[in-house]
Amino acid sequence: MAYADIAAFFPILLKGAVVTVQITLGALLLSTLLGLLLALMKRSPLTPVSALAGTFINVIRGLPIIVQLFYIYFVIPELGIDLSAFQASIIGLGIAYSAYQAENFRAGIEAIDSGQIEAAKSIGMKSALIMRRVVLPQAIRIALPPYGNTAVMILKDSSLASTITVAEMTRAGQLIAASTFQNTTVYTMVALMYLALSLPLIFGVNRLERFFAKSRQGADQ
Amino acid sequence: MIAIDHIHKAFGATQVLKGVSLEVAAGEVVCLIGPSGSGKSTVLRCINGLESYDSGAITIHGQTVDVRRSDIHALRTRVGMVFQRFNLFPHRTVLENVMEGPVFVKGESRAEARQHAQALLEKVGLAEKQAAYPTQLSGGQQQRVAIARALAMRPEAILFDEPTSALDPELVGDVLTVMRDLAAEGMTMVVVTHEMSFAKEVADRVCFLYGGQIVEEGPASRVLSEPQNARTQDFLRRVLDH
Ligand SMILES: Nc1ncnc2c1ncn2[C@@H]1O[C@H](COP(=O)(O)OP(=O)(O)O)[C@@H](O)[C@H]1O
Ligand SMILES: [Mg+2]
Repeated sequence: MAYADIAAFFPILLKGAVVTVQITLGALLLSTLLGLLLALMKRSPLTPVSALAGTFINVIRGLPIIVQLFYIYFVIPELGIDLSAFQASIIGLGIAYSAYQAENFRAGIEAIDSGQIEAAKSIGMKSALIMRRVVLPQAIRIALPPYGNTAVMILKDSSLASTITVAEMTRAGQLIAASTFQNTTVYTMVALMYLALSLPLIFGVNRLERFFAKSRQGADQ
Repeated sequence: MIAIDHIHKAFGATQVLKGVSLEVAAGEVVCLIGPSGSGKSTVLRCINGLESYDSGAITIHGQTVDVRRSDIHALRTRVGMVFQRFNLFPHRTVLENVMEGPVFVKGESRAEARQHAQALLEKVGLAEKQAAYPTQLSGGQQQRVAIARALAMRPEAILFDEPTSALDPELVGDVLTVMRDLAAEGMTMVVVTHEMSFAKEVADRVCFLYGGQIVEEGPASRVLSEPQNARTQDFLRRVLDH
């Protein structure tokens, strides 16, 4: 492992890392919005609405993410919609993870016992206000640790974007390795850089979990 | 002020209320007693529209209680409810629990709501607990906060659904004292309870519910001391044995 190699590879990998972070944040945002929508749809009293959300969630969960990426990258353009590989990877991962996010959010919402909701109704609160003031503040605490875990998974799975030619960190590594044959150096660097991104997230999630475990015992604030 | 006229209610195939009628005048305290499953909670929940009813009518000061109508929210602000299991908001402090309705439903200013909430907490004997979270309080304290939360809406009536049934015996007294004070101030109250001594002392009227019907009703002293109906006699014998 020559230091000169490391110094030469690092800027290229760093560029890839920036793309990795962009894909992760984009997919996280999209999966959050879609996931919330799906979670609320699934709780809808209108059967067609909840059934639609349920079917969507099951289909998405039953498909390999890589197949979803291929589908969006190769099939959607045939319908006349132009997508860059970068956009396709964000949409693909965002949709794929929306199903998991929906389940996270639903678990959070359903953990609020119905007595509190009735109490809120009994002081005249309407459902939107009950959502905002009673359900969501508590649901978010419950859903936050799994949300952090999902973020870690999206970060790792953003490497799948390499399969549809997005020059994120894994693909940058592949390209360097293919032209220099420095497999050990390159993939060790790639692995370390993923850890540099994921470990702080993982530690953050662990801290959150401990914090919320404590605050639920009543030692709040 | 509360008029229940022949309401029927079924859950699926089970008829739970079979023509219940009850009038509660302003300032009156009515206790609903009866065995478990007789429909007491369902009656209360119909009064403030937490549950719908199939036929008959309920009115509050002439205004119909109908879950499907948009005025149901405004109506609920006028009839408070206290639950067996307190149902406080665990993520908010005692003071915030009491201020929640006035600030977010009625649009009172925070300062005004805080002042009123503090006065109410004083009244239920929990002034020094205003910064605590519900889980840090005993059941009896939580229930008194729940009463303060209901009072904060300045309701015309309060419904109590077995407010002391989930409490350790030594904590029951404080909650009953608060309720007694409320009754003495002229609050209109409908109370589902198994506390017969409370009913005897505080209630203007007692209704005995059995199998979804009010089978006996009258002044507390008469219904509790000289019940006419065999079911009432049987029920009271069991309750008083404990
Ligand atoms: N949401 C519900 N769904 C189905 N059955 C219910 C529901 N709520 C109450 N019941 C039934 O209605 C009957 C009366 O219940 P309730 O009003 O809670 O009685 P009480 O308060 O007198 O114990 C019981 O048989 C109970 O099982
Ligand atoms: Mg009951």
